Amino acid sequence: MSFIEFKNVCKKYPGSDKNTVDNFNLDIEEKEFIAFVGPSGCGKSTTLRMMAGFEEITGGELYIDGKKVNEVAPRDRGISMVFQNYALYPHMTVEKNIGYGLKNMKMPADQIKKKVDWAINILGLEEYRYRKPKNLSGGQRQRVALGRAIVKNSKVFLMDEPLSNLDAKLRVSMRTEISKLHRQIGATTIYVTHDQVEAMTMADRIVIMKDGVIQQVGKPMELYDHPVNQFVAGFIGSPQMNFFNVTVDGGTVKFSDGNTITLSEGMQKKLNGRTGEMILGIRGEDIKLDAQNMDLNKDNAQSAVITDTEVMGNENNLYFSFGGAQAVARVSKYEISQIGDTIHFVFMPSKMHFFDKETGVNYTEM
Amino acid sequence: MFTKKQKRINWILVAVLLVLSVFFLFPVIWMLANSFKPDAAITADMNTIAAFIPPALNGNFLDNYVSIVTDTNFLRYMGNTLLYAAILIVLSIVVNGLAGYALAKIRFPFRDQWLMIIIMLLIVPTETVITIHFLIIAKAGLLNTIVGYILPLIVNPFNIFLFRQVFVSLPDDVYEAAQLDHCGPVKYFFTMVLPMSKTVVATVSVFTFLNVWNDYLWPSLVFTSSDLLTAQIGLNSITSNENTTMGQTLAVITLVTIPVIIIYSLFSKQIVEGVTSTGSKEG
Repeated sequence: MSFIEFKNVCKKYPGSDKNTVDNFNLDIEEKEFIAFVGPSGCGKSTTLRMMAGFEEITGGELYIDGKKVNEVAPRDRGISMVFQNYALYPHMTVEKNIGYGLKNMKMPADQIKKKVDWAINILGLEEYRYRKPKNLSGGQRQRVALGRAIVKNSKVFLMDEPLSNLDAKLRVSMRTEISKLHRQIGATTIYVTHDQVEAMTMADRIVIMKDGVIQQVGKPMELYDHPVNQFVAGFIGSPQMNFFNVTVDGGTVKFSDGNTITLSEGMQKKLNGRTGEMILGIRGEDIKLDAQNMDLNKDNAQSAVITDTEVMGNENNLYFSFGGAQAVARVSKYEISQIGDTIHFVFMPSKMHFFDKETGVNYTEM
Repeated sequence: MFTKKQKRINWILVAVLLVLSVFFLFPVIWMLANSFKPDAAITADMNTIAAFIPPALNGNFLDNYVSIVTDTNFLRYMGNTLLYAAILIVLSIVVNGLAGYALAKIRFPFRDQWLMIIIMLLIVPTETVITIHFLIIAKAGLLNTIVGYILPLIVNPFNIFLFRQVFVSLPDDVYEAAQLDHCGPVKYFFTMVLPMSKTVVATVSVFTFLNVWNDYLWPSLVFTSSDLLTAQIGLNSITSNENTTMGQTLAVITLVTIPVIIIYSLFSKQIVEGVTSTGSKEG
């Protein structure tokens, strides 16, 4: 049995005719770092709150460490939680905020002090020990919230968009700190975010949700390279995967603007004889402009005029119209092009994805 | 930065407010100055500016006050009132606070209708229900007891409404965090909700104190024993006694006024914040 098990878990709010979380099945191993990711309203926070016990589970079963917890009070589930708005106690100092739970658990004062000292030390909060939350910056408050969670020796940490109120730079450094903390403490962590970069960089596995339904569960690179549907393909990765309306006819792919490319034998095999209208997806970095790739795939070379550029420092994003859609190519920082330049490019033959136009299913991953 | 025109308007406003405040302060200054004088001096100074100037410091300066303190039970009445106010402040905060919290944060059937009824009760004057209160207290055999005096004053719709309006804006995630920190609902109310709402607690405390301190009708109905009387009843019995001089009357009125002035001076900021904040946030 897994450490945490969701068995057909559903959440339906009174007055609503459909489930906010629908038939959620997931096994989470001990010490795993899992990220729930998806757009607003996809049910990720609701699922987390059902785990915490703040939302009633209206269908299915939830097990933590082998024990069914559907009816167990939040305090008895052995979990700690870090909230989006930190939820610190405003009238208590940093030290008291961190130690409050331990005090309520009737832990002896000397042990509380030892644990609070440890948390304060590990989180670099020494000089803020006697400050109240209103006198702390966003990052410091977030660390206090983390401190409050880690002192309790909980087996499960729940984090509900903990970095969303921080500025971009702080978010990156806190990301590293949370990952480090997870490695040090080793508690099973469930992390909710709408930011796919956070999920990709921190999680062992990612759960992608949409409309209360799990779309795909997997390691970050599995989701990136092998998305099961168009939603996952579009959600993971920045810039987003390029999508084109195409018609597949045997080994030929015809774009809506009349351009054509020929499919490799491997790709034709993956498509397993499927033809007709589909969505072709390809990531920006799999659109190649370099001479070597152009040479290898010269029969499929295409050209387009650059309409916009983004200089990222380590790479460049080149935007252009092609195949009846706006597309972006990620190229190295040495491949400099200007708006109005004509570029010649090829799609990497093995990196293309073909999605069903209606259901979004990825035919190349079946 | 103020423009020249704005500055001029500010000066005019300050001047008008100064004149108004002097106008309102005159009776108080007059009372204070004459409370130190014998009746003959009060009468002699009546139509002169000296009526607003206290007498020179001499051995007789505090005579009126000394006689009030030594010849009457007034200090005891003040002590009684302070005790009743202290008990009522604690009970008001606990009872009205819990009711306000329930109306703000706990979902139960007809919650909004309950709130409407409580708001409607705000328009019912105390005098209309005082007879009913009296009959209930009399039936319960609680006349002439502190419990009988305090019981009908604990629940106050205005205080419930004040608490509810402040509690409704408290973030729910703090309660959730406290739950995970093994803090039960009652402990949460006393260790989190009240400390997070200091302003409204101060406001309710001040209003409760002033209500008790200034109340005349209810204590005069409940109490007959002179040991339990309040300051306002003591004030009335002293001032209506034909042997009391005008100077003593003014001294006793000054004594009754002092706590009110102190409380207002100390908590004016909280009172304003408490009352204004109640309408500022919803949900």
